[in-house]
Amino acid sequence: MSWPTFKLTLRLRLPSAGSAAIGLVAVQLAVGALFPAIGHSIGKLDVPKGVAQLLGGADYATITGWFRSEIASIYGPMVVAALAIIGAAATTAGEEQDRILSLTLAHPVSRSQLVIAKALAVAAAALIVVLGEWVGMIAGVALGGGGISIGHITALALQLAAFGLAAGAVSLAIAAGTGQRSLATGIAAAVGIGGWLINGFAPLVSGLSWLKYLSLFYYYDAHDPLTRGLGIGDTAILLALALLLTVAGIVGIQRRDLRG
Amino acid sequence: MSTAPAIEVSGLSKDYGSGRGLFDLDLEIHPGEVFGFLGPNGAGKSTTMRLLLNLIAPTSGSAKLLGLDTIAESLAIRRRLGYLPGDFAMYPKLTGRAMLDYLAQLRGGVDPAVREGLAERFNAELERPIHQLSTGNRQKLGLIQAFMHEPELLILDEPIAGLDPLVQQSFHALLKEVSAEGRTVLLSSHTLSEVERVTDRLAILRQGRLVVVDSLENLRQVAVQRLEIEFAAPVPVDAFSKLPGVTEAKADGHNLTIAFEGSADPVIKALAAHEVRAIRPGDENLEEIFLRYYRAEEPK
Repeated sequence: MSWPTFKLTLRLRLPSAGSAAIGLVAVQLAVGALFPAIGHSIGKLDVPKGVAQLLGGADYATITGWFRSEIASIYGPMVVAALAIIGAAATTAGEEQDRILSLTLAHPVSRSQLVIAKALAVAAAALIVVLGEWVGMIAGVALGGGGISIGHITALALQLAAFGLAAGAVSLAIAAGTGQRSLATGIAAAVGIGGWLINGFAPLVSGLSWLKYLSLFYYYDAHDPLTRGLGIGDTAILLALALLLTVAGIVGIQRRDLRG
Repeated sequence: MSTAPAIEVSGLSKDYGSGRGLFDLDLEIHPGEVFGFLGPNGAGKSTTMRLLLNLIAPTSGSAKLLGLDTIAESLAIRRRLGYLPGDFAMYPKLTGRAMLDYLAQLRGGVDPAVREGLAERFNAELERPIHQLSTGNRQKLGLIQAFMHEPELLILDEPIAGLDPLVQQSFHALLKEVSAEGRTVLLSSHTLSEVERVTDRLAILRQGRLVVVDSLENLRQVAVQRLEIEFAAPVPVDAFSKLPGVTEAKADGHNLTIAFEGSADPVIKALAAHEVRAIRPGDENLEEIFLRYYRAEEPK
């Protein structure tokens, strides 16, 4: 791994990761503060089954369900995945298209060392956002009157981190393999959003429920870590996928001509 | 210092299809040489350099830099090589100093005195973010990063693009010092005037193929010479246009502009038949031979 590349990439990703982390803390403080006032009334709403499923199928009337619906099912994974997907594409294919990568690779750094450094830096940036989610949820839950253990909040953070790494690795594999930033961002975003929709709707359609296993979101959300703690198997699947896709990216960039 | 060629290229090709790329390049550049690589845009200069750096893979052929294979031993080569890409780009938010720090770290560190000396020589702005720098000031950073680790071999793609004449002069002086130390430079350009002051030999590429490799001195011998002559009275242009070696003769009143190749003897003898008030050398004559190579004509 190239340490200078890791340090510089992380430094350049820090402003966006820091902003996202602070944003997550602020949003969760607001969500937590709102719960005592509207949690009980909103819990009586008759939400269509499909919509409820997209929001994790949780009970709004409980603080666990409230945070699962508001943060864990949409906002948290959306922010972490977006940062990881955009970061992975920008630091590899983006730099290649901007003609920076050719200069870097004219130095004594191998392509594999470079991609590993980029992957770890983007992973570290994603973990900073997850840290914001973790801190924000602890504070938000406390503001909302408590009711979710720190262990379960940590479990969610770990599964969220694994989800972010897997989503980022989809982007990294395509970006490193093709050198095309837009393609990598677009496909990885489609995999993320498509997976979220499949996970929400597939179980409602008889005969198609197996599709949920193709969704990254399923392995992040289905175990419901806020209620049941860490889903070790699901987390391991996401991490293994992230590792596999990173290796695919390394192999891909070694087998092709650099652009720019 | 090794006596093996600094650059040894054998049958190197990169075929992009539709006649684009580089085809069957054979080339040998010796240690201590400053070698110019000339050709119009799209001739294959940058492709050759990117092949040598293993940024792209050849369709066929091979190359060695400093005696090492450009594919199997690319990493070892890059430790000893300085490279300036064409259209040099860097992280826009970083300052020049931060960028040079990063590139120095990739090499495991460089001598700060050398780096600062180069910055001073080029009058580079190191403290401003790169996106605020002009093209010329960015190019100065490109030159510093290529030279700052005192590499044995330098590959420079359009190195003086955007540089003002004073910095160009500093750059040319630096090339002479580098060459005197036995280090090798391959530099590309699309105009002769950029490289003629510094190169020992040069190659001309056209449409991906090597057209000629020779020393400037030899090329000068077959180059077109141009004279502007002022006579005491108008002269018939036919008396000059039909002389051996004359490629162009234009009369305008008392003045005659004549271009010729080879010996000047027939022209001088023809001039002696008239009263000549002044003879002035014409503009660049060597450029014409290059333009002719570029245009796919064989020199006469």
